[in-house]
Amino acid sequence: MPAWLEVAIRSICILIGLFIITKLLGKKQLSKLSFFEYIVGITIGDIAGTMSMDLDIRLTEGVTSILIWALFPVAISHISLRSKKFRDFVEGNSTVFIKNGKILEDNLKKEKYTADELLEQLRKKDVFRVADVEFATLEANGDLSILLKRDKQPLTIGDIKPYVPEEKEPQTVIMDGKILDEPLATARLNRGWLKQQLDQMGVAIENVFLAQVDSYGQLTVDLYDDRIQLPEPQQKQLLLASMKKAEADFELFSLQTNDAEAKQMYEQQAKHMQQLIQKLQPFLM
Amino acid sequence: MTIGSQVKQSLANMKAIHATLQQLALTSTNEEAQRAFHEAMLETEQMIAALKGRISTLEREEPQYKGM
Repeated sequence: MPAWLEVAIRSICILIGLFIITKLLGKKQLSKLSFFEYIVGITIGDIAGTMSMDLDIRLTEGVTSILIWALFPVAISHISLRSKKFRDFVEGNSTVFIKNGKILEDNLKKEKYTADELLEQLRKKDVFRVADVEFATLEANGDLSILLKRDKQPLTIGDIKPYVPEEKEPQTVIMDGKILDEPLATARLNRGWLKQQLDQMGVAIENVFLAQVDSYGQLTVDLYDDRIQLPEPQQKQLLLASMKKAEADFELFSLQTNDAEAKQMYEQQAKHMQQLIQKLQPFLM
Repeated sequence: MTIGSQVKQSLANMKAIHATLQQLALTSTNEEAQRAFHEAMLETEQMIAALKGRISTLEREEPQYKGM
């Protein structure tokens, strides 16, 4: 057998083997959660590379080595799932660097971190003033996690509005011009509804590259032809506007009528409508 | 435009609101939103009933504008 053929066969077999091993190791390996897992990844790759090129190495020896390197982390992660103590030993603990706004120099020294490196890590997280940090900890994988002081934290909707309704994830219902039935069913809609919506917009399904439904049942589409302008869904804004118009109508009628009973009825309905608008506003904004 | 036709316009507007609320109640996947829209829809039904009552009174008082 010529050398190149053996290399080819080896490479293909190892490629398939590696593919299976990576599936076995799972997604956690991708995040390189610990230094150990990082090294295991590199070593497996190196062994596989050498094995496919170096014909002096017998396949049995290489495979044994790879299997040990691959199965050991799998075993470790299985034990880690069960025992917290083992997990702490294998994956390591996080080290607190800043607590109550004060830098803990002893911990810095323990992790061999200089003040410059700490500042650099803080800057990477957009923090330029150490005084803004309430709490910072060095994770087992070497990332620095930061909790800013309350007055330096970014503003969220919850800070301004007392009540914000939940929003569910949007469902992608058309991809590459084809209807995806499963997400459509998750959104509790059907093909008939989708066709009707597209007809209203005046687009054919074949022209739609991507379409999504949000948690209010509003459809947004992206077409292959980017020159066509489609309006944003405005159903909710329109509803709010017409509810405000109805309230104004009731108030107007109550001023215009001379009938005392009707006047009272209109005033009551106007107040009713006002309450309704207030109640629905968070959902319609 | 007479008062009668204005009230009728307002009734049409209310019916549109009712329909939109009903549609949103059906298509929303968020349960909280569903409930809010549904309750609002029921309340608009009362308003529609009140408006209809007023329209029939108006038509009785001024039969010449009936149907306008």
